[in-house]
Amino acid sequence: MPPLIEAHALTKKYGKHTALDHVNFTVEAGRIVGLIGPNGAGKTTAMRAILGLTSYEGELRVLDREPFGERTALMREASFIADVAVLPGWLRVDQAIDFVAGIHPRFRRDRALELLAKTQITGRRRMRELSKGMKTQVHLALTMAIDARLLVLDEPTLGLDILARRAFYDALVNDYMDESRTIVITTHQVEEVENLLTDVIFIDKGRVVLALGCEDIARDYAALAVPDDKVGAARAEKPFFERRTLGKTVLYFEHPDLGRLAALGELSTPSVSDLFVARLSGGVT
Amino acid sequence: MNNYSWLVRREFWENRAIWIVPIVIGAALVLASLFGHVDLGALAPEQSRVIGGTVLFVFGVTFFVVMGIYSSWYLLDCLHSDRKDRSVLFWKSLPISDTATVLAKLFTGLIAIPLVYFAAADITTVLIAFVISIRAHAAFANSLWQPSVWLQLQVLWLYLIVTTAIWYLPFAGWFLVVSAWAKRAVMLWSILPPLAFYLLERWFLGTHVFGSALSERALGYGQYAFRDMANQSGWVTTIINDDSIRTPQSVFRLIDPVGFLSSPATWLGILVGVAFVAAAIQLRLRRTEM
Repeated sequence: MPPLIEAHALTKKYGKHTALDHVNFTVEAGRIVGLIGPNGAGKTTAMRAILGLTSYEGELRVLDREPFGERTALMREASFIADVAVLPGWLRVDQAIDFVAGIHPRFRRDRALELLAKTQITGRRRMRELSKGMKTQVHLALTMAIDARLLVLDEPTLGLDILARRAFYDALVNDYMDESRTIVITTHQVEEVENLLTDVIFIDKGRVVLALGCEDIARDYAALAVPDDKVGAARAEKPFFERRTLGKTVLYFEHPDLGRLAALGELSTPSVSDLFVARLSGGVT
Repeated sequence: MNNYSWLVRREFWENRAIWIVPIVIGAALVLASLFGHVDLGALAPEQSRVIGGTVLFVFGVTFFVVMGIYSSWYLLDCLHSDRKDRSVLFWKSLPISDTATVLAKLFTGLIAIPLVYFAAADITTVLIAFVISIRAHAAFANSLWQPSVWLQLQVLWLYLIVTTAIWYLPFAGWFLVVSAWAKRAVMLWSILPPLAFYLLERWFLGTHVFGSALSERALGYGQYAFRDMANQSGWVTTIINDDSIRTPQSVFRLIDPVGFLSSPATWLGILVGVAFVAAAIQLRLRRTEM
């Protein structure tokens, strides 16, 4: 089976600024992929390209289509939430359901109503009357009622409080995700999503810095916490990043020789967020 | 086709002024007929035909002028407002092409909104005829209410809707381009480029080709859609008290659909309009942010 998303030398320039610079990555079916990077790294541009919202150079196939030229067809099988705040204020909840039901061949009204029944939101309410958290619930109910193969989320929880964020991701994982679906999430808040991702793509300054499956992190990376007197010996093993914490120094290694490192201190598998910071801070500090 | 009906319905949800404004105008006119002063002496049949027709016509013009202003504003605003509140990202997450979106908005502005005003004008005139028949004596109302005049005005309305939609297509297309392109101040952007174009041509070439083409388009509609106004034969003059009112004998002798459709100016306008609409679609395809 070909990858769901395949980007080859994907490039996007805005005037002199290069938002994406010959980026390569693939997304396989059934995965939850985090597209992670600092603000302005090119995440949103990549997302826009995937969704057919912007033109680009290079090659990009999404669900075996060329997104910019075939957005309409693509959106029958893919859906996206680009920030939860985009439902217009004048729209009533029942109108939103009627409209999507009328337009989208894969939308299941009963599913949307079922999801909304779990909330306090009634059909006659307008979006402008709802809190941001409630709007999120509406948008999520609309999106989750679409039987899509690919769901793309762009900074989906921006501006939400912690409860609404948690509810958002719980709904996504428990009520939506199954092996037939693929989710791509962009975010600059790694901690929030690291437990649900199966793959990460780190992106910085328009380039892919790192792309790997979360199950490979333990194989390819190690964090080593050493007391001060062992720092010199640990540095000799060529860490790519180190930081001081609580009287210890933590050093990060790529393709580590675990046997030799274990003798120097306490070994652990870095979390996605540790890896993100280590990779993007660049070099030994 | 199903998608288009949802897209047009969506426009009515968003722009509730589409039906609120004509209802308000209609209500105001009905109120005026309820409390206004009606004092006409005995009228000859020809006089009451003219007065009845003129009243209906004036109502129609009121609705039509407001409709024209509102429709222009609607077309200028429609592709801009959803970029402003970023809801364009929601609409684009659905399987609707940008072509369908833009065409649905064009249809709403040029056909759907005028039809709503048309319906409102009709309902208003029926209500007013009813009010007058109760306030004055029925015979008087009957003489004002001329089915043949009313029928002619229906034809005139529909003819106006279709021909103005065609004639003003370049303006509508231009408004859509501005709406899809401008970051803000759509009103200003709709006026400035043509004005600059006009001034540049005047200063550097000393000619007025663009300016006269523009004013021809803005003001010349009547001479293409209707028979020569100077031709007296189709007109009758009625004296009512001290005023003389000139009215066409029949709407059917006034409208000129064949002349309108066979005029090169009409087709040139369609060509320019289609080009603008195509440009608006391309802009819509590419511009999602402000």
